[in-house]
Amino acid sequence: MVGKIVAVEGVEGSGRTLHAEGIRTYLEEQGYGVITFGLGMSKLLGEAIARKKRDVVFQRRTLFLAYVTDLADQVENLVKPAVESGFVALADGYVLTLMAWGLTRGLERNWMEGVLRALPRPELTLALIAPPEEIMKRIIRKKGVLDPLSSGVDLCVNGDLYQGFRQYLERYLNNMRSLASDKGGVTVDTGRDFKVVQEEINSLVGGDLGEA
Amino acid sequence: MLIAFEGIDGSGKSSQARLLRDWLSMRGDAYLTEWNSSEWIHEVIKEAKKKNALTPLTFSLIHATDFADRYERFIHPMISSGFHVVSDRYIYTAYARDTVRGVDLKWVKELYSFAVRPTITFFIRVTPQVALARLKAGRKTVKPAEAGADVFPGLDPEEGFLKYQGLLLEVYDRLATEEGFVVLDGERTPREVQIEIRRRVGELLGG
Repeated sequence: MVGKIVAVEGVEGSGRTLHAEGIRTYLEEQGYGVITFGLGMSKLLGEAIARKKRDVVFQRRTLFLAYVTDLADQVENLVKPAVESGFVALADGYVLTLMAWGLTRGLERNWMEGVLRALPRPELTLALIAPPEEIMKRIIRKKGVLDPLSSGVDLCVNGDLYQGFRQYLERYLNNMRSLASDKGGVTVDTGRDFKVVQEEINSLVGGDLGEA
Repeated sequence: MLIAFEGIDGSGKSSQARLLRDWLSMRGDAYLTEWNSSEWIHEVIKEAKKKNALTPLTFSLIHATDFADRYERFIHPMISSGFHVVSDRYIYTAYARDTVRGVDLKWVKELYSFAVRPTITFFIRVTPQVALARLKAGRKTVKPAEAGADVFPGLDPEEGFLKYQGLLLEVYDRLATEEGFVVLDGERTPREVQIEIRRRVGELLGG
């Protein structure tokens, strides 16, 4: 197996970062060189997005394009050279995470797919989902509060943060499920015991990359 | 109404756009927007260009982000509320600059397909030689961006300017037919050019 992209996709609280770290450890134990990249992690735009996100939350197209630029910068400067020299590039949030975000906010699917054609396709896509209650519990555990921004307050119309967040997550997860099945990704339910999930993921990663 | 101005650097289109905005302001609400001027993306682009950190793809995408920011914040709401929006460079600038850098035009068109077509697009046409002479009369040096320093890093600024702007002009000439630009001879006096612009816009405004 030489040089591939493995994408771990999912909403905040789906276990993306944790499982990506698990995959990294697993692959390194197998002797692979691994680099990690992902949404909002570019030198070019990562910091600017984090700083401005609250101000542009209602400008969906701007934010979408900012994230595509952010990913493209990493793909061109980090991922491509690493993959060419045989590394596995592990994405902590890639095109499906972004597309599910855009679909949930009413951006046109055709337009997003057209723009995202500029980015390379992953060898393996893992779409992480979990029950909304579980995701919200994780976020409260980690941050102490439900952040209105990441809870999709920009599409919450009933003013009730909890219900708004819940509805948002249901829509997002449905989009993620159907994107995963359309795009040939493997859906992984992270609502279960962490170890069990990681073992399942490892066997998927090992199986898939081992074959090629 | 949306009025777009296109042309190579030094064609005089920014002055023409400003003059038209002033004239339109006397007849209603008018707004002028310039390329590459989103308050938060602009700074990122400036830094990245300084560090030479952009590839053709990220050059294209980051300018599209800048445009989308101005489009969602200003251009679209203003057109929807009946403003006259004058755009000093519009999506065709991206078509030209991105294709000269080797990005597929079809993809660039898709990228900008969310943007409404201008009511009228004025293409102020001058040769790169005339544009360079004008720039040199106004100030001493050619800016790296005007010389396409990322495309032709080996050339001296003036040579780079002629070559880079020459390539852009070729793309503009093709787009002029495809996209139905109103082509204006920019080598006349600014006043002559402005009089023709106001006549055209006046017709669109209904006398």
